[in-house]
Amino acid sequence: MNANDAPANARAADGYFLRAENITKVYSDGTVALREATLEIHPREIVGLLGENGAGKTTLTKILSGLLPPTSGRVTSPKGVVRFASPREALDFGIGMVHQHFALVGTFTATENVALSHERPFARIRLDQARERLEGLMKESGLHVPLDVPVEKLAVGEQQRVEILKVLSRGVRLLILDEPTSVLTPLEVDELFLLLRRLRDAGTSIILITHKLKEVQSVTDRIVVLRRGELVGDVKTSTATTERLAQLMVGRAVEGESTAVELSAEQLPRAGARSKTGSSGESILHVADLVAKGSTGDVAVDGLSFDVHAGEIFGIAGVEGNGQSELVECLTGLRRAVSGIATIKGTDILGKDPREIYRLGVAHIPEDRWRLGLVLPFTLAENAILGVHRWKEFRGPLSFMRWGRINRHVRELMDRFEIQATGPNAPAKSLSGGNQQKLIVGRELAKNPAIVVASQPTRGLDIGAAKYIRDLLVEMRNNGRAILLVSADLDEVLALADRLAIMYEGRFMTECAPTDLNRQQIGMLMGGVERKEVV
Amino acid sequence: MNWIDLVSLLRIALHAMVPITLTAVGEIVGETAGLFNIGLEGILLISAFAGALGAEAGGPVVGLLVGMGVGAAIGLVFAVINTYWKGTQMITGIGINLFAMGLVAFGLIQLGAPGFHAVPRAAQVIKWKTAMGAMSPIILIALAMPFLIHWFIKRTRAGLILKAAGEMPEAADVAGINVNKVRLLAATFGAALAGLGGAYMSVAWIGSVTKDLSAGRGFIALATVVFSGLNPLLALLGGFIFGFFQGLAEWVKTLPSKPIPSQFVSMLPYIVTLLVVSGAIGRVRFPKALGEPYKRE
Amino acid sequence: MSEQAGPTQSRLLRGVHRTVTGLHPALESMLAALIGLLVGAALMYMWGFNPWKAYWALLRGAYGGSYEWASTLARATPLILTALTFSVCVRAGMFNIGAEGQMFMGAMAAICVALFKMPPGIHLIVGLLFALIAGAAWSIVPAVLKITRGVSEVISTIMFNWIARWLALYIAIFILVDPSRAEKTLTIPVSARFPILVRGTDFSYSFFLAIFAALVLYFVLWHTTMGYEVRAAGLNPTAARYGGIRNKRTMIVSFLLGGITAGLAGATVVMGMPPSYAAFGGGAFPELTNIGFDGMAVAMVGRNHPIGIIVASVLFGGLNAGGRVMQFYGSNPVPLEMVRIVMGAIVLAMSIPELIRLVPAIKSQGERLIATLRRHGRPASKEGSA
Repeated sequence: MNANDAPANARAADGYFLRAENITKVYSDGTVALREATLEIHPREIVGLLGENGAGKTTLTKILSGLLPPTSGRVTSPKGVVRFASPREALDFGIGMVHQHFALVGTFTATENVALSHERPFARIRLDQARERLEGLMKESGLHVPLDVPVEKLAVGEQQRVEILKVLSRGVRLLILDEPTSVLTPLEVDELFLLLRRLRDAGTSIILITHKLKEVQSVTDRIVVLRRGELVGDVKTSTATTERLAQLMVGRAVEGESTAVELSAEQLPRAGARSKTGSSGESILHVADLVAKGSTGDVAVDGLSFDVHAGEIFGIAGVEGNGQSELVECLTGLRRAVSGIATIKGTDILGKDPREIYRLGVAHIPEDRWRLGLVLPFTLAENAILGVHRWKEFRGPLSFMRWGRINRHVRELMDRFEIQATGPNAPAKSLSGGNQQKLIVGRELAKNPAIVVASQPTRGLDIGAAKYIRDLLVEMRNNGRAILLVSADLDEVLALADRLAIMYEGRFMTECAPTDLNRQQIGMLMGGVERKEVV
Repeated sequence: MNWIDLVSLLRIALHAMVPITLTAVGEIVGETAGLFNIGLEGILLISAFAGALGAEAGGPVVGLLVGMGVGAAIGLVFAVINTYWKGTQMITGIGINLFAMGLVAFGLIQLGAPGFHAVPRAAQVIKWKTAMGAMSPIILIALAMPFLIHWFIKRTRAGLILKAAGEMPEAADVAGINVNKVRLLAATFGAALAGLGGAYMSVAWIGSVTKDLSAGRGFIALATVVFSGLNPLLALLGGFIFGFFQGLAEWVKTLPSKPIPSQFVSMLPYIVTLLVVSGAIGRVRFPKALGEPYKRE
Repeated sequence: MSEQAGPTQSRLLRGVHRTVTGLHPALESMLAALIGLLVGAALMYMWGFNPWKAYWALLRGAYGGSYEWASTLARATPLILTALTFSVCVRAGMFNIGAEGQMFMGAMAAICVALFKMPPGIHLIVGLLFALIAGAAWSIVPAVLKITRGVSEVISTIMFNWIARWLALYIAIFILVDPSRAEKTLTIPVSARFPILVRGTDFSYSFFLAIFAALVLYFVLWHTTMGYEVRAAGLNPTAARYGGIRNKRTMIVSFLLGGITAGLAGATVVMGMPPSYAAFGGGAFPELTNIGFDGMAVAMVGRNHPIGIIVASVLFGGLNAGGRVMQFYGSNPVPLEMVRIVMGAIVLAMSIPELIRLVPAIKSQGERLIATLRRHGRPASKEGSA
């Protein structure tokens, strides 16, 4: 099928380290995550596993690392078929995986986390020995982490290093990394890639899962592309063009010039939609010296001041975990601020609960749709009124619910926001991720808000759904609403925002128009480099 | 209150402490691994009954062992349902309690006198004569067990594994630890300790079995665990406090003057439990995955 | 084959599938009940009883005729109410184990009507009001402790059960005691009793109170904003908070509703259960004890749905009513306590999710075990491994 992309490795067949043959995985709910995928891993190579969300990248690697059994197909090594009943068996074989959600015990120190996978049970813990070994490994690999602090107190980048050290300490020959760069600053990404190259030169094979084209091209030797569970390409990095990869990944030719692949033209709203740059409208949201603490008690929002005006999109970019979530939670009544001022159209909102804040005309598209945005076991209709369920329209005398009107409202939402579902009574958990997000966005926009607080509104969505939601936000802006867009997707912020701020450790590194800075400068700001050093 | 009264109060308190401390320490092991067993009350009751039968058949030591074994067996059922079968821990526990109430009441009827069964002197654990009066040797076990468990959790690799299974089972799994097996062992061990506590009540302390012998001690032990924040040494202290108030209640009942109605005295341990628990919350942190079945997919 | 056949067939299949998945919870409840009865049978057999005879007596005693049905429904009445207590709190995401204590308080409060005279009917209603206020008051403290101090409602409600029990004993012995018979409380006057529905039985109009309460709770939970908020908070408290729902309020509401039904359960026993119309403090309340706990079992088998609870209460009421017949039946009668063993086993089985899926799983495990044993039986054979 993809003859022209066929195995780029000309090496002899017996030179491989591991081969996955015709792997199919069907989950218990019937989703086919992988279809007849075949992949060969050789020693001393970095393989990029490229694909969109839901393409099956993670499933494939979970099977290789023993976390999931394949439904059919087999994994072989030159010595014969290998079967891993558990991650431990895969580790013993020499395969270790660094997950997107780190497999670290938060209350343990780095040493304890590493010691967990060693030594015999019922022995005394020899933390001193584990520590010694770890220090040696740190010297060898150039990875440095604090050893005596509970890892939950470490920054995300450090936690990732602990995780890598943990896997390396088992002497793995194949290291799998699942989207390792999504939590890192550009500088940290460079460091990571340096390490990966060094490990490869020392003889380790590496699988790097990512959906970022530039990354995969910069560090890998070979790129394998997955699309909807099927392996659609296996190309040498040196021969792969960005356009070709993008086309393989998305499944159709990406129009326009090649530079736009990071966020292709069709994902973006109409060019030039940015109508009224600057702050022509009145200030809707005013924030001054806002301070808030995170869940661990550390200061997460450190004296922020800004305004969001009617008719503009104010974007906040930055690596996740720099206080964006806490900021949004403060502004929507989900978290108590320590000090500062926040008003909406002049009314103080700090200390108010979400219901009161919504009444002032706030719509909130939350970052985590499963935890915050939806009650998954509820039906579509029940979810569609979450937050507006006390409206007169839906609530009759004696607080009886007006199901007739609610269902009519839901059908309107389904039509207007193209939500595909069997009907108002379909459970929300039966919807696809894109439709769930459309439901949330539709529900919030239908409130006819003065300001929309959108936190990671397109995370985890396929291209079509993401574009649709971005279009909606722009449309709202053009209708004169204020929009606060918080996103870790830099390209999204750059494309949508009229003004943007870069957030780092609870502060804004800068506040500017998206055209004021280039990507590299923004990258440095996201990594905590001060503005005056950047420009 | 004179000196002799104080000594006898202390003696009662130490005896009353044993089942609560043993059960609480066992539950600490289970909760550290992520399993919350509300069925301890039922385990205490059944093992008290089984322990009595065992003691009458083969002597006090056999009685204690039978109590432990029966406790472990129920703990195993609980654990299997809530590890491999992904059950709802709270409901399993409630089921165990209902089952135990029925089984022991039923068993007592089968033994003859409904509602009450005395364990013969010969089948009881011999109490040591000390300066404080007759003391059960099991008290020593109850005093030592928290230290042993404390050492086990803090200082062995098995303790590390236990904590990992309760805090972040995904991490334990990746580290090659069989989370379900660890939890299964922990809950079974914890229930075995509760079983020992139950058998102690019938075979070494009270000397009889009634259908409400456990009298909420399993639940008080759960409260002790909350109070202790999963620290076995604090559980020992908590067990002693609750034992003391139970002792106090017993002691007040024996007073000829009856300063307050005995019903109010009997409420004391429960009220104290409530007060202590409401004071203890906030500083306590429990394992993240407590009560959650571990699913890999 | 016609072109229509394909889609029609698949639509039919889908219809069947939907019905089966819709029945799934009910099937599981039935399977759990079956498992409970089997465990009971096994234990009876071990103890030398004849389970068939016992169950036959139980079945006839529970559902054998109109008298038996009346007896069953009379026993189902308080169970419906305490089951509602448990289930409304489960819907709100909490485990309220306190129905027992709240029910005791309700019963004691209802007995207070014996202290004064009133016209019939009004007297009854006043008694019910007393009971529901007492039940609600007793349940509000754990709710407040949970909200203000973060005390687990499981522990606090259990402690409150014990406190309630001793308090009720004190009240029964020292305050509401019948001066002529120290072992029991004052008797509810005729003007405050539920009228008997079927003459010669203990089946009274209190049954309709229970049904009414179940229907009211059904409407509250699924057709009012308050119920919507309670269910949302129970299923996903963070999302509920995001949706402007005050979780503290839903906690209080669910505990209050639960306390009210539990209080009423106590009232239906003392006001609607001939012949005594009183509580026996001297006997440690044989007629009240465990109604709160059995209610939890009813709630689980009824899948925490008011309508399911009514159905499940017929099963458990039948077990209680039939058990009374069973304990006098034949030459070697089985004691009533067997019924509670069966209930416990049913709840244990109910705690296993996807019970039905477990059946093939156990079967395949068993087959694998047998296969393994066979393999090991033949020392020569060896499995090839990687």
